[in-house]
Amino acid sequence: MSSETKAAHPGKKKEGFLKRQAKSKTVEVSEEELLQKDFITPDDVLRLGKSTEKYLCPPEANVYGIDFTRFRLRDMETQTVLFEVAKPPPTADGEEQEHEMDDSDPNAGRFVRYQFTSQFLKLKTVGATVEFVVGEKEVSKFRMIEKHYFGERLLKCFDFEFGFCIPHSRNTVEHIYEFPELSPDEVQEMVDRPYDTKSDSFYFVEDKLIMHNKADYAYNGGS
Amino acid sequence: MGLLTILKKMKQKEKEVRLLMLGLDNAGKTTILKKFNGEDIDMISPTLGFNIKTLEHRGFKLNVWDVGGQKSLRSYWRNYFESTDGLVWVVDSADRMRLADCKRELHSLLVEERLAGATLLVFANKQDLPGALTSEEIRQSLDLDSIKTHHWLIQDCSAVTGDHLLEGIDWIIDDIASRIFTMD
Repeated sequence: MSSETKAAHPGKKKEGFLKRQAKSKTVEVSEEELLQKDFITPDDVLRLGKSTEKYLCPPEANVYGIDFTRFRLRDMETQTVLFEVAKPPPTADGEEQEHEMDDSDPNAGRFVRYQFTSQFLKLKTVGATVEFVVGEKEVSKFRMIEKHYFGERLLKCFDFEFGFCIPHSRNTVEHIYEFPELSPDEVQEMVDRPYDTKSDSFYFVEDKLIMHNKADYAYNGGS
Repeated sequence: MGLLTILKKMKQKEKEVRLLMLGLDNAGKTTILKKFNGEDIDMISPTLGFNIKTLEHRGFKLNVWDVGGQKSLRSYWRNYFESTDGLVWVVDSADRMRLADCKRELHSLLVEERLAGATLLVFANKQDLPGALTSEEIRQSLDLDSIKTHHWLIQDCSAVTGDHLLEGIDWIIDDIASRIFTMD
């Protein structure tokens, strides 16, 4: 339907259809290969074997005004909020904007570094909430794929399709899930190697990557 | 093995259940969702979009969608019908003025093809409020007995106290499970 689906993929069409089908989802793909593509699909990122070095789309790919405004993590066992960060609403005099514009790194808004204590790795069930706003256009087939790695081990992969988003809407989603089970050795390793735990959050509209956010994590914070 | 059996089996593998929660604005949809998940309900503002929770409940992966009920948002409801296993219709039992509205909106959903296979749970919410109609009175006002196309149940509840929320959710899951995740 859209012109994007017809766009040529230079140098990517040498294999037959069946062969490509058989490869899909099973064969790992490298970041370098993906960076050659005109746009990235969900299938592409599902085949990535580790966290990426670069961003797989520019910030401008988000033409829908999708903006994440809140993130919250709670421990379901004790019903306590462990962590919450919210974007302050823009002030009338635009003071907040000015402050943000001081930052010359164009990727500043796409990367977050978390510093947690080792206690975090002992959690059993957590609820992770994100809140986002949508601009004036309606959004269809909105899908999130979030992959968490320690080194090259995939700890957790969320794949969730929101589907349709109402123009000018404010939406939330909370995923309540069991924390991946880790052996004492793995916990120790993760504590000893701060920021080797990483995540990539990929957001797609109609199977085309429009946002890519990254985070890394340390678990060696004061007890 | 027929196609239906194969489809049933595919779904059984994940045991994923999608619930869509709708109702007029201020019916208490978001409060129900939050209370059910042990969240603070002191500060809830009108939903100008959706709230989703994905959680495990009794071995099922539940995806619960709460979509805002303001008049301007209702035309968007149809975007969320696809793949819905259960429709949860939330009623403010103390809002006598809008029961006719409430009835009309509910019955317009029941003729939707994409909701044809969905189980219907009606929550007669806000039973903690003085002047709330009983679930029996809501059942008559909404003419629920005329519904022959869907499995349905009306459950009185209070999102604020949490009373009977679990009973309602468990019923709808049981009903969906018996329809979809049948043994061969």
